[in-house]
Amino acid sequence: MYKAVIIGGSAGSFQVITRILHSLPPTFPLPVLLSLHRLKHVRSGFVEALSIKSGIPVLEPADKDQIKPGRAYLAPANYHMFIELGNKIALSTEEPVNHSRPSIDLSFVTAAQVYRDKLVGIILSGANRDGAYGLKKVKDLGGLTIVQDPLECQVKTMTEASMKLTKVDHVYSTNEIIKFLQSIK
Amino acid sequence: MIRFEIGIVDTRNVLKAILDAYGYDFKDYALTSFKRRIELFVANEGLRDIDTLIGRLQQSKEYFERFLQAITPETTEMFRDPSLWRNLRDHILPELTKGTTRPKIWVAGFDSGEELYSLAITLKEINLLNEVQLYSSYISDFTLEKIKGGVTDIKQLEVNEANYSRLEGKGSFADYYKTANGVAYLDNQLIQGVNFVKQTPAFDQGPGGVKMVLFRNQSIYFNQLLTDRSINAMYNALVPGGYLILGIKESLENTNSNNKFTVVNESDQIYKKKTL
Repeated sequence: MYKAVIIGGSAGSFQVITRILHSLPPTFPLPVLLSLHRLKHVRSGFVEALSIKSGIPVLEPADKDQIKPGRAYLAPANYHMFIELGNKIALSTEEPVNHSRPSIDLSFVTAAQVYRDKLVGIILSGANRDGAYGLKKVKDLGGLTIVQDPLECQVKTMTEASMKLTKVDHVYSTNEIIKFLQSIK
Repeated sequence: MIRFEIGIVDTRNVLKAILDAYGYDFKDYALTSFKRRIELFVANEGLRDIDTLIGRLQQSKEYFERFLQAITPETTEMFRDPSLWRNLRDHILPELTKGTTRPKIWVAGFDSGEELYSLAITLKEINLLNEVQLYSSYISDFTLEKIKGGVTDIKQLEVNEANYSRLEGKGSFADYYKTANGVAYLDNQLIQGVNFVKQTPAFDQGPGGVKMVLFRNQSIYFNQLLTDRSINAMYNALVPGGYLILGIKESLENTNSNNKFTVVNESDQIYKKKTL
């Protein structure tokens, strides 16, 4: 029933993302959109690091790439990543939002507008409030909202900000997030 | 985060009003980012709603020019992707000027000045600034004024400086700007010889016989149709063997011009027009 999963994370989320990607079967039926804060001038290395243990291919998309199931799309350094109607990636170099480019809010809002109630939005550990508004839009448009349990987060600012703004559907540990994703057929 | 949100119908109404009043057709802009630019503009201007925006756009050409400036995202940093600028300085630009008298170089995106000044500084540092003819596209009269004045965001200086040091420039970035009253001014002597071309979204203007086009992070704001059309305009402007440079996340594979160019450097997105 879902069409896409979008995950936002910042400080302290790398290991969580790695574990989640590792747990996904090659047959995972949805695209996974990753909007993660990262160093803007370091272009290479990150996608390779995420790929090593991932169960599905991890790509850093170019603008207008078609979004396909069973692949993870990592927002490229120094670009915002939007989801465009027609199930395509759209990139932008406009001003940073919440001091961030990529901005998790922008990825989440545009994904919510395209996938609406067919979207799963997940916010992980992070040190600023980026993502909180985006997750609210996911919820407002009927999508499923999940935050990593703040007790488990290395840095809980992002998850707590999200929970303050939105009555989220689930507060899950990493293991529970994995179990949930694995249950998606 | 800007909380003012508009729908697709609102967006279409703005498009139609602009087309009717000024003949500028933005319908082939990428919907998501164009909608967002309108939202940002409305919020920053403190407008009540979309009808207020449409009314003001229809009433005043000057207001429309301001809108044009805001609707095309700024380049936001100089020497973005330092490895490209290193490549231009060490390889492409010296080669370009060999055997050709004053080759034409076209900054074809709707630049807010950053690309043009980065190029001029790069050329100057290898003593080629006076050996080329520079053309630069602009969309809004306000943008042109800003570029000619060298006005740049003082908050961006740090990023510009960091990029400049990553490309190991010959001098110091501080040689190229002055600050006064909280504003930074780039040395506009650098762009004295530049030919400015007012560009509509249709890409029907521009120089011919060009040896290099910088068209970075522009087609990301276009839909497929306008992307194809604009790359085709670049193709027509270039001489055979001329260089096309796109943003590092813009792929010619996602256009219908892929077979008309060869790849020179994939990670810096440098292409060469095929010789027929």
